[in-house]
Amino acid sequence: MLVKNVSKHFGGVKALQGCSMEIEKGKITALIGPNGSGKSTLFNVISSLVPQDGGMVELSGENISGMAGFRVSKKGISRTFQEVRLFKHLTIRDHLQIAMGDDESLIKSFLVFDTVRDKRIKEMLAKVHLDKPLGTFVTDLSYGQRKLLDLAIAIAKPHTLLMLDEPVAGVNPTLRKVIRDVLLDLHAQGETILIIEHDMNFVMDLAQEVYVLDAGKVIAKGKPKAIQKNKKVLDAYLGG
Amino acid sequence: MAIIGQLFVNGLIAGSIYALVASGFSLIYATNRFMHFAHGATVAIGGYLLFALFNLLGLPFFLAALGTIVLTALFGLGMNRLIYIPLQRRKGSNIVLLIASLALLTLFNNVIMIAFGPGVKSIGWLETKTGMSIGGAIITPLQIWIVAISVVLMILLHLFMKKTKLGRDMRAVADNKELASIAGINPIKISDYSFMIGSAIAGIAGILIGLEQNLFPTMSTMLIIKGFTGAVVGGITSVPGAVVGSYVVGVVENIGILWLPSGYKDAISFGLLFAFLLWKPTGIFGLNKGVKDA
Amino acid sequence: MLENYVIHILILICIYSIYSVSYNLALGYTGLINLAHISFIGIGAYTSALLLRSGMPFIVGFLFAGIVASFFGFFLVYSTRKLKGDYLALATLGFAFVTYSILLNWTQLTRGALGLPGIGKPAFLGLSIGSNLEMLVLVFVVAVVCIVIMSRIIKSGFGRLMEAVRDDEIGLLVLGKDTFAIKAKAMMISAFFAGIAGSLFASYISYIDPGTFYLSELILILTIVIVGGAASIRGSIVGTIVVLLIPEVLRLFALPTSILGPARLIVYALVLIGILLYRPRGMYGRVDLV
Repeated sequence: MLVKNVSKHFGGVKALQGCSMEIEKGKITALIGPNGSGKSTLFNVISSLVPQDGGMVELSGENISGMAGFRVSKKGISRTFQEVRLFKHLTIRDHLQIAMGDDESLIKSFLVFDTVRDKRIKEMLAKVHLDKPLGTFVTDLSYGQRKLLDLAIAIAKPHTLLMLDEPVAGVNPTLRKVIRDVLLDLHAQGETILIIEHDMNFVMDLAQEVYVLDAGKVIAKGKPKAIQKNKKVLDAYLGG
Repeated sequence: MAIIGQLFVNGLIAGSIYALVASGFSLIYATNRFMHFAHGATVAIGGYLLFALFNLLGLPFFLAALGTIVLTALFGLGMNRLIYIPLQRRKGSNIVLLIASLALLTLFNNVIMIAFGPGVKSIGWLETKTGMSIGGAIITPLQIWIVAISVVLMILLHLFMKKTKLGRDMRAVADNKELASIAGINPIKISDYSFMIGSAIAGIAGILIGLEQNLFPTMSTMLIIKGFTGAVVGGITSVPGAVVGSYVVGVVENIGILWLPSGYKDAISFGLLFAFLLWKPTGIFGLNKGVKDA
Repeated sequence: MLENYVIHILILICIYSIYSVSYNLALGYTGLINLAHISFIGIGAYTSALLLRSGMPFIVGFLFAGIVASFFGFFLVYSTRKLKGDYLALATLGFAFVTYSILLNWTQLTRGALGLPGIGKPAFLGLSIGSNLEMLVLVFVVAVVCIVIMSRIIKSGFGRLMEAVRDDEIGLLVLGKDTFAIKAKAMMISAFFAGIAGSLFASYISYIDPGTFYLSELILILTIVIVGGAASIRGSIVGTIVVLLIPEVLRLFALPTSILGPARLIVYALVLIGILLYRPRGMYGRVDLV
């Protein structure tokens, strides 16, 4: 995916200024930066939830800027949010059937009963190590389990790029390791992943490429080791 | 040309009534952040109370009018205390409050229907005088009074909001409830006052309507729709805006008769309402602040 | 006499069940804030009445009632697509007022306040509905079929998408689903069934006027759906029975008819306020009212 010179402002606030990134297929890329640097805004622009004011976004050579949000998703982008977005009155099974199934056609949906078999759902849940009965309601899950389900539906939905916004925020150390392992598994299977993460440590031994955002601009990019030593990056995090 | 003049004058008269309704509604909305549709019932109750006190009990007119205003204010306060505040305590969403207000509107329409019967009532304090001609347009003394009272009340309301402590407190709550409450302003007290003042003004509207036109049990519905339209057109969070918007509605719906049959007056207002809600919900003067998006 | 009265109530229960399940489909299951459901009923009733009065067979009036209402359902969702919360509720209310106003003022088409009398009873395949008992049978069958269809939709994969739209529209958007299309379809289905029920109502009552589909009726169906509970078909059916029967106790008091009408509405309004205050989820509600 290519992000070319994207800008976005909200009223007088310049949330993004001329950001450019190249997300290479098969790699894990991390997007880091201090609070308020515009990381989530960039995600929202890419997934077309928020229109950009300048620049464009290409996915596998196709210009996806300005496409409707759901269309960008259909083109192959799967994403999660900082706050877990699940459907509070539905069950685990429901979530995965929505992610994996094709129920939008009313007629087809009317005539056919569940299009996605439990077996496939269980396989998907196994990928994220979520071991709970399929009929469990989201409200009966712990925060960590919800994070896993959130991840599961993003993975389950057909995609070519996985964008995760703070996948381990607020998560206990055991779960962090689980999620880290899941991401490494996905990487080993050739998946392309873009992560926003606050925690530099989590990111450093996971990502092959790191972009650093500060006050809406890309201030550095490169391999994790180089970034850690980059003076501009340290300045951005420490203040000033 | 004289026709337009007459229609314009008619529009001012209608606008004055709508402004009285809309200003109270807007005051309550700005302070409490929900739609109090039952405000229309307050106007109707005002008219019927005057009828009850003056025509049925035989009290002297000004005493009856005063009594009406006081009782109407209490009526509004009652709705706030008995229904809205308890609902808000139970974390009722804005939609719930809106539905409750529609229920209250229906409730009082029908209470009036039972108490006073479905027929039309008139106050009959002033004999119908022939109108005088001002610049080609005919206007009766009472109608002049209506416009005058309305304008004076709106100016008084404006001064009240700007100059008095209570007025400033109300504007603070309207602007930012949390901040105001931190600053020591009691939001429930302010809420009560907004209902009392808004309802008192509605009571005056009821009195004027009773004198100028007739009272009928379902009058509240059309009045609140018109008043609400005026508030939306002018800017629902802005009381002066609601007043201006109401005059706009009054004039537009009357001048609209030049092109459409007069029965369509209401349709013109509704059309205006729908159009504004779709394309400019903040109204001419309103700011987006404070209108709840779910 | 009692028998006629019971049949009358049962007919109303059947028709109102269709109103309430269709309303719940949009409001409770899909989370579509809509205060204009009575407009769909009214548009359906008027479409059917006008077609029947100009000689069309009942089945045509019946189907077109649903189709025309469903078209207005789409129009409502489309025109309000950018609104949320308060403003959305108001815009739908505004739509209801505009519809009422048009029905009242387009006298060439609708005869305005005079209403449409003499709407024919249903007749098809040579059989015509003579007595109220036959009407009850028809209405009951139609209600069962409609509710079964709506129930199937709700329980299907599409119904799952509807509930997802209600629970988190953006969450569903990023899963690649066209949420606007889902909302539009849900509203059109809701309006369709409201419309055909309106057609049945018009033929049963045989006289309609714009006021039949206005504020009071809105309060009634809102009360039914809220008392029954959001997102529950069982709730809507039970709610219909309960709410329609409550004012019947008023008959015990032998009130004159001029008081009975308003008294019934007072009861509905009080029940609605009471439920909102003391049991907002109603009897079987699975979801908090949006």
